[in-house]
Amino acid sequence: MKSRKGYSLNRREFLQVSAMTTAGIMASGMSLSQAIWAQESSKGGILRVRSYADINKLDPGFYQNAYNVDVMNCIYSKLIHYKPGSEWETELQAAEWIEQVDPTHIRFKLREGIMFTGGYGEMTAEDVKFSFERVIEHNSPVKDDWGPLDHVEVEDDYTGVIVLKSPFEPLWNVTLPYGVGHIVSKKAVLEATEDGGDFGMEPPSFSGPYILDEWRPNQVVILKRNPEWTGPKPGFDEIRILPIGDPRTAETAYRSGDLDFTHISLSTLDEFKSNPPQDTVIEERPSLYYVYVGMNTENPKLQDINVRRAVQWAINVPQLLEVGYFGQAEVATGMVAPGLVGHREQALIPPEGDLEKAREYLREAGAEGISLRIDVLNESKFTAMAEMLQAQLGQIGITLEIDVQDPGSFWSIGMESEGDRWQDMELILQRFSMVPDPYYATTFFTCEQVGNWNWERFCNERFDELNAEAVTVQDEEERAEMYREMQDLLEESGAYRFLTHEGSPFVYRESVMTPATRPDGRPLFRFFDPV
Amino acid sequence: MLLYLIRRLVLAVAIVVLAVTLLFVMIHAVPGDPASIMLGPRATPEQRALLHETMGLDRPLPVQIVGFFADVVRGDMGTDVFTQRPVSQIVFGEMPYTIVLILTSITWAALVGIPLGCYSAIRRNSLIDKFIGVFSVGTIAIPSFVMAVYALLIFAVLLGWLPAIGAGEGFWDGVRHLILPAFAVGVGWVGYISRIVRASMLEVLGESHVRMARAFGLPERRIILRYALRLAILPTVTVLGVGMAHLLSAAVFAEVVFARPGLGALIVNAVGTRNYPVVMGTVLVTTALFVISTTLSDLINAALDPRVRESL
Repeated sequence: MKSRKGYSLNRREFLQVSAMTTAGIMASGMSLSQAIWAQESSKGGILRVRSYADINKLDPGFYQNAYNVDVMNCIYSKLIHYKPGSEWETELQAAEWIEQVDPTHIRFKLREGIMFTGGYGEMTAEDVKFSFERVIEHNSPVKDDWGPLDHVEVEDDYTGVIVLKSPFEPLWNVTLPYGVGHIVSKKAVLEATEDGGDFGMEPPSFSGPYILDEWRPNQVVILKRNPEWTGPKPGFDEIRILPIGDPRTAETAYRSGDLDFTHISLSTLDEFKSNPPQDTVIEERPSLYYVYVGMNTENPKLQDINVRRAVQWAINVPQLLEVGYFGQAEVATGMVAPGLVGHREQALIPPEGDLEKAREYLREAGAEGISLRIDVLNESKFTAMAEMLQAQLGQIGITLEIDVQDPGSFWSIGMESEGDRWQDMELILQRFSMVPDPYYATTFFTCEQVGNWNWERFCNERFDELNAEAVTVQDEEERAEMYREMQDLLEESGAYRFLTHEGSPFVYRESVMTPATRPDGRPLFRFFDPV
Repeated sequence: MLLYLIRRLVLAVAIVVLAVTLLFVMIHAVPGDPASIMLGPRATPEQRALLHETMGLDRPLPVQIVGFFADVVRGDMGTDVFTQRPVSQIVFGEMPYTIVLILTSITWAALVGIPLGCYSAIRRNSLIDKFIGVFSVGTIAIPSFVMAVYALLIFAVLLGWLPAIGAGEGFWDGVRHLILPAFAVGVGWVGYISRIVRASMLEVLGESHVRMARAFGLPERRIILRYALRLAILPTVTVLGVGMAHLLSAAVFAEVVFARPGLGALIVNAVGTRNYPVVMGTVLVTTALFVISTTLSDLINAALDPRVRESL
């Protein structure tokens, strides 16, 4: 692991740079004082960025969504973080070093001098132990992120050992560098909550390069430099995160100059490319989301695997993506996105499907002329795809009814706890978010999850075995092969037709900043640098 | 008058209770689970059940609604499912933005619409009257959200004169941020008000007291402002009172398109996430605002028209 920045300047380079700078100042006609002021003021400044939703949880042990973690990344420290760039790698943050002693023991040493704000002192291994163990002790909704954590042993002020009950490979990809990996002050949290539980929206202390200066709900989150921060100085003095749900509004705000960085929708990508605002750079990154058509295997109409296979083979994925994403999204081969462990090179069914084969399956099932229903979220891309799907299934004689639902209703369709609606569910156009480890996706499709988040009610012993075993395998290729097999099993069940991972284009003003993002385009604001 | 006020107050409370109860029943009738959304996909059914219990969602519906009103009487509107902040703090924090937007929109619409309608009636069938007629119908016909989008593109993106999003900081910045949303929300009302004022003015100008005033040789300006407009404005005041409710709906799109804080944006998000306490709190407050605005318009009518006053 190398440090993010390791600049050095020898004497010759220093003289060259000085001479060039002086010449530049003279050529521009500025006085030296003006030039110095201009240089100083170009450091720092205010970064204005968009988030697609307002924050609603700042306790990392109980984090809920990626947009909360975007803020946590700035105000807390963790042992390791995702390295900005286009490859999924991590690098050291609060840890001076970290090593896997054996499959169940991870030893770390904290950097010295990382301070908690508010007089809560230096970060110690005791804080690490407290931060990690409280996730399990307080039955956090995200305790699965810590998998089989047993406890953390404290060796001295800075050194400790994370002890697992069994090996857990996602620890390196998700647990440590993402939400629950953030370290909070034991003393501060105990003072604020008494039992060390969820402190919600009121962080009692900060340990990152920024502090939460102000939160105006539904307006802005203002982060300012942490005066007690002893690490590398962050680029901007202030970061203003504006929650804007509607992508069109965000795009207009960017064009008008109210934002310096925002993600844009795939539907407007071409428009931005053909008519980019001044000083704008457009970057396209693959996203981790996975979108698929799911089928309820226990619904009487879909119990026969041949009916499900008929639907699978009748779906022409590129056509769906053309109407849903204006041809800007790539075809998915499974639920695991490219670049992640377990990504498949190709799906079992070709992207274009095969209508003849689909008709054959339907004949075998004796289900010609069947009527089905698909539930979709009330977003234009999904309704457009559903309409195309209606036409595609119509080609093999299946009548498809489209049921558009609002998020509140949609996200409980297949849950047994929400009544009998799961029984009526037939097809569903589903989209799940994902973190950079396949475990996060596959774990939703186990038998245990049937009726909870496994709405297709797919249940396969081999799949469950692989899912349990794959998290313990340290050999990357062996692990990848297991996830590939799991995706094969999903597809062979006839209950899934994987469509796309969408895409994550964003725009920024190159005259203002150099952004830093994860490979999926997710911003890492603490590493944004002003120009 | 006092009796009238008491009657209106009782009616207002009844309307609020009825509206909130209806919504309570409706929102619980549609599927959706705030616990699933709040806790996320990693939560276990047990964790969700526990949250249901904490939120009181496991209790029968009538018990929940009675409990809600009992809490409201005690000044407690509940707690936001997600942030754990008091709903009253959230709703009253957002309310000023919506009220300012609505009042600004209706005020500028009235300030432009009333003179236009008045002038149109005085110059009946003239070229200007016809032009104002076309303009008025045009502003009514063009949907506000279309107006909002084009106003944004022209004044924020193309010309860069005004900010596109947010509510601004401080008074003058706040005013700059208010111009486009208030324009978009109020523009349809300019035409609407001008048509109502024109029609009422034409009716009043034909009445005997106006003809009498003219016969006495009073100045035309005085006749228009003192004797005609004072009566002609009454239907407009009533419409403006009811219009406040429609403007609350218009504020929803404005707050979304212009990414402004406010009750509209708040309720849209809360309904989408089935954040019941916030939905209920917001509806309670908006219904109360509606009742207050209609009552105020009735009182203004009574103050302006002795006939109305005497009938109370």
